[in-house]
Amino acid sequence: MTSFREYREAMASGQAVEYQGPLLPSDALAFQGDRAGFVSRTVAAGIDVALIFILVLGTVAVFWMISFIVDPMSPGTPVTPSSDRVPSVGIMILYGYFLNWAYWTACWATTGRTVGNLVMGLRVINYKGGRVRWVGAAVRAAFCTTFPIGLLWVIISGANRSVQDVVLRTSVIYDWAVTIPGFGGLKIADPDSRSHE
Amino acid sequence: MTTEDWSQREVVLITRPAPVGPPNPLDALRDVFSSSIGMATYTASTFASLIEQTVTYAVTTSVNAALDRLVPVIADAIIERIDLTDVVIQQVDLNRIVNSALDSLDLTQLVIDRVDVNAIVAEADIDAVIDRVPIIPLANYVIDEIDLPQIIRDSTSGIAGDAVSTVRKQGVGADQLVARLADRITFRRRERKLDAPGEPLA
Repeated sequence: MTSFREYREAMASGQAVEYQGPLLPSDALAFQGDRAGFVSRTVAAGIDVALIFILVLGTVAVFWMISFIVDPMSPGTPVTPSSDRVPSVGIMILYGYFLNWAYWTACWATTGRTVGNLVMGLRVINYKGGRVRWVGAAVRAAFCTTFPIGLLWVIISGANRSVQDVVLRTSVIYDWAVTIPGFGGLKIADPDSRSHE
Repeated sequence: MTTEDWSQREVVLITRPAPVGPPNPLDALRDVFSSSIGMATYTASTFASLIEQTVTYAVTTSVNAALDRLVPVIADAIIERIDLTDVVIQQVDLNRIVNSALDSLDLTQLVIDRVDVNAIVAEADIDAVIDRVPIIPLANYVIDEIDLPQIIRDSTSGIAGDAVSTVRKQGVGADQLVARLADRITFRRRERKLDAPGEPLA
């Protein structure tokens, strides 16, 4: 398996690099595998939180509509205020946090990318460079949801790491090439395989 | 001396009376004799001139008529017996003639002026020419020379891909800007260690 470092060194030394599957702009090849900076990660997180927010609003709307089936308005009865028909704001915020945690956990443990990560071309990896496990993803998601200010450490850190990254030894890297596992990716050309052609 | 000078000249004629004496019979005889000889001479010369002209005319016409008939026959006979082409090829420096003719002509301009090149191209069997061109090796050569995968990579996949790439690139640019600013404020000299242990998903 070719690591990003090997891949970049191969690129720098002028060795042939093979691309299979993902097509990347040539000027983006240089920083693939680098730890991502503050803006990209904040935008990605913002996209995720916005999605969760829309989901929570959708849940409120569904709750409100269902309430009319459960408790229909009939002539003569006093009008129930809408605030009585939907869950309280506190519960919705808790629900939102839970949804965010579950969403991040599932995304990071399976593909390493949330929708925001996908848009910004980011991927979350563990200290070995592999995918974070479910437990690790759950802990990281909980940490990120409850302590989002930790992301600010990316600005100060000498290695673009947030507080969560430092504590849990994870990294968020630029990885624009979205690949299906086992099908292609970035590879250094094998000189032997070329000579056999 | 010009004619003008002549016209301005005066001419004076002076006459002298001839000496009158008794007639001399010897003189008369001499006069008669000399006149006779002059007459004879004149007559003879006239006859001679007449005969010469007549003979010349007769000979010229007859010879011309004869030549008119003879020359074509002889020429034909000669031409028949001689291989003119061979003679020309052997005796004439054709190269020099052709070269000097070509030197004095601007052939390109001549062709442009006089030849309908479009008509020639329209008549030409282009397919036969193309059949002789090694298109596949040519195409392979072109593909080898240009970095086709890179072109495909740079053109990415459509407008959506372009938009995403642009957003990502702007993100990366902003990341670097923020990092540089932070490094300057915190007086960090070392470069950020961005080398992650990751490897491409494959």
